[in-house]
Amino acid sequence: MAARATSSRSMAATLKSKPRPVARLLATALGGLVATAAEAHFQLLYTPEAALNESAAIELALVFSHPFDNGFTMNMGMPEAFYVVSQRGEGDPKTTDLMQYLEPIEWSGVDSKAAAYLARPPRTVTRSLGDYTFVLRPAPYYEQNEDKYIQQITKTVVNVGGLPGAWDEPLGLPVEIVPLDKPYANWVGGVFRGVVLANGEPVPHAEVEVEFLNHEPQIAERRFDPEGKVTAPQDSFTTLSIRADAAGQIIIGLPKAGWWGICALNLDDDLKHEGKELSLDAVLWVKATDMTK
Amino acid sequence: MNRPRLVLASLPLLALAAVAAHAHNAICDCFDNGDETITCEGGFSDGGKAVGVPLRVLDASGKVLVDGKMSDESDYTFPKPKVDYRVEFDGGQGHVVTIDGRDIEE
Repeated sequence: MAARATSSRSMAATLKSKPRPVARLLATALGGLVATAAEAHFQLLYTPEAALNESAAIELALVFSHPFDNGFTMNMGMPEAFYVVSQRGEGDPKTTDLMQYLEPIEWSGVDSKAAAYLARPPRTVTRSLGDYTFVLRPAPYYEQNEDKYIQQITKTVVNVGGLPGAWDEPLGLPVEIVPLDKPYANWVGGVFRGVVLANGEPVPHAEVEVEFLNHEPQIAERRFDPEGKVTAPQDSFTTLSIRADAAGQIIIGLPKAGWWGICALNLDDDLKHEGKELSLDAVLWVKATDMTK
Repeated sequence: MNRPRLVLASLPLLALAAVAAHAHNAICDCFDNGDETITCEGGFSDGGKAVGVPLRVLDASGKVLVDGKMSDESDYTFPKPKVDYRVEFDGGQGHVVTIDGRDIEE
């Protein structure tokens, strides 16, 4: 609780701004006293390593949370789709359904427990060299504080052996962030670029949020590391809010090793789910690696 | 989103292997299919194909057991040797990837 008390300072400022997904309040969980508007919902599709030297069984944790400050973790319903698109060099892309590997688990945030999923596909699924883009289309999440649903279509790209594949190709998702740099091969201090697409078209000036996965997931313990790696000096730094440019392109810096989540928000204004507004978001995870010997 | 490797792919195969190996690392990995066969996949770090690239299987004394070339899919499958063996993927210009048969798993 103490970790989030600092966020209450931002409430007044948030209430002045127009209602939008960044202002997702968590008043219910906190008895209405504290609004953590400074943090953003992020669908995690987490695996420890993005660039594998050798093929291995890849374990993934599917958790819906607030990654920078280990905030409130939300219940996930059964995903609508979960699969991996793989490509070895210039070979044909191959899609492997992973729904059968989903295991319901309980994941612990700092002061909340929530329904999440673990997936442990066998090594045969990721045995070939090349790129593996894991795609998760979660069940829409009802956000009571905004009386709307949120659905974050999420991609995490893993490479095996250094042989690239189709990391830079769109996958034909309703909404997605298409990488312009390999999401798994980034030095700390570099930049990462991508293009926000909705229905295959770039989204000019898309609203985008960026968060560092500050509390590393500990899959064996089904929780986030209680110790964060960095501390935000002020609420604006918890979730970095940016805009895509006129061509729908985003560029972010990568100042710290680890996973960075990029989320383009509410990419289709007209969507409804069960009679309520649905914010369809696109999430891409990018890993930065220290330059060391 | 044209990639440099698309240009490379249009070159004759020998030129492709040479050019790719010159600028990029040769990459090879093998797995045991569980049916007494081994499959090796190859390529180059720019995504270039390894079609026609030599792949040899040798025993402990260096005797060549299998002398193959990568297929149009940049892979090669051979019967699993009964003896200790190693695989050599010859990407050209000294870019030889060697894999010990004991490291090849299902």
